[in-house]
Amino acid sequence: MFDLLTRYRRQILISALILVSLLFYSSNLRRGGASTLFERAVLQMTVPIHSALDTIWQGAADIWTHYLWLVDTAEKNDQLLTQNRLLHSELMQVQEIRLANERLRKLLEFKAEVDLVTLPAQVISEDASSWFRTVVIDKGADDGVLEGMPVVVAEGVVGRTIRVAAQQSRVLLITDAASAVASLVQKNRTRGIARGVGADLTLDFALRLKDIAEGDLIVTSGTGGVFPKGLTIGHVDKVTPLEYGLFQPISIKPTVDFSRLEEVLVLLREGP
Amino acid sequence: MRILFYLLFGLVGLLIQTAVFPRILPFYLKPDLILVLIVYIGISEKYSSGGLFSYGFGLLLDVFAGSSLGMYGVVFLLIFFGVRSTICYFNSENPFLLLFLVFCATLFQASLLVLLGAFAEAGALWQIVLHHLPGQLLMNVFAAVLLMLFVTWLQKRFFRLVVPGLQRLDERYDD
Repeated sequence: MFDLLTRYRRQILISALILVSLLFYSSNLRRGGASTLFERAVLQMTVPIHSALDTIWQGAADIWTHYLWLVDTAEKNDQLLTQNRLLHSELMQVQEIRLANERLRKLLEFKAEVDLVTLPAQVISEDASSWFRTVVIDKGADDGVLEGMPVVVAEGVVGRTIRVAAQQSRVLLITDAASAVASLVQKNRTRGIARGVGADLTLDFALRLKDIAEGDLIVTSGTGGVFPKGLTIGHVDKVTPLEYGLFQPISIKPTVDFSRLEEVLVLLREGP
Repeated sequence: MRILFYLLFGLVGLLIQTAVFPRILPFYLKPDLILVLIVYIGISEKYSSGGLFSYGFGLLLDVFAGSSLGMYGVVFLLIFFGVRSTICYFNSENPFLLLFLVFCATLFQASLLVLLGAFAEAGALWQIVLHHLPGQLLMNVFAAVLLMLFVTWLQKRFFRLVVPGLQRLDERYDD
């Protein structure tokens, strides 16, 4: 028996390692979305490094913008003076619009305060691979964040928190392949599931006979248990008409620009 | 010392991938430095130590990528075993060996992610992988070229410096 083990030591080792890794992966799939101690610890340990890198990068970008990139400043200054005269005349008109805008914004802010408790957060890093769509924000369990909380910006839905450490969390973007959001077409209330496909989304299970056209607004339906009702997801980008079948393939262009994600809001009260 | 080098390279690579590349590269096109490291470990390390390293780095990457802990662990472990078990059939004198293996490992990684993603209800992951695979192949090979040039420069510039791990290429025939 011992000879057998010695002879096939390598094969046994390889099989054992693969088996253990598969079992571990499988057990994590069954456990669902809860963060493990390992994940929380690693995320927490990297907080100062990520924050420091973020600060260094901001500083470097600031130096570049304000000092090194000023070679053609004099030329630009002349252009800006000309522009300034033109803009000054338009400013008076804009003032009126600004005042109206402020009033509307106050109303919106009031509505937001009444309906939901939000937590502002900063995106400090992105997914380490090219295949998945997640970001890390600088708020975590210490700030009241839990797994499964919706994350939004003014333009619409960003995603939901999937891993939460004490001071930072990972957010699964709605464009990730693992993301599915219960949605509806705003104009005719057709229901569907918005699934991520990388840069865009698709609207699955939208009935073929429903009238859906390019440009239609897609919003959250509020039935998935994660996102509140009525948040903007995107616009219908392409509808492929089919002659038969139950559903119609629909492509959605998200309203949020995920390549420029910096500040986000976590909706605290909408947790599971 | 060699282990320290792997750890240092892996952790720095991970930080670069999460905090630096996103500032200068689009979301869908980041070179996978950890994959290059795993291929290198596959070339130069033994089954037991290399397997554990690969799995460990996979788990670390899982914390910062994707939504299922253990997925990259399995992927990197299988990539390591794939490289380690086939390396004896290649000409070690060829300078393009690492690049070729990184190319193959990227293809293998994409296949494994699609396969394992199917169990994790990862939806249309295969669409994302297929769409970005050509770019990812180029990025990974390009990153491997840059790393090779950097290491060669290090060795030339600091003549006495021996980069740990790079002297073990011929030891793969030991067992």
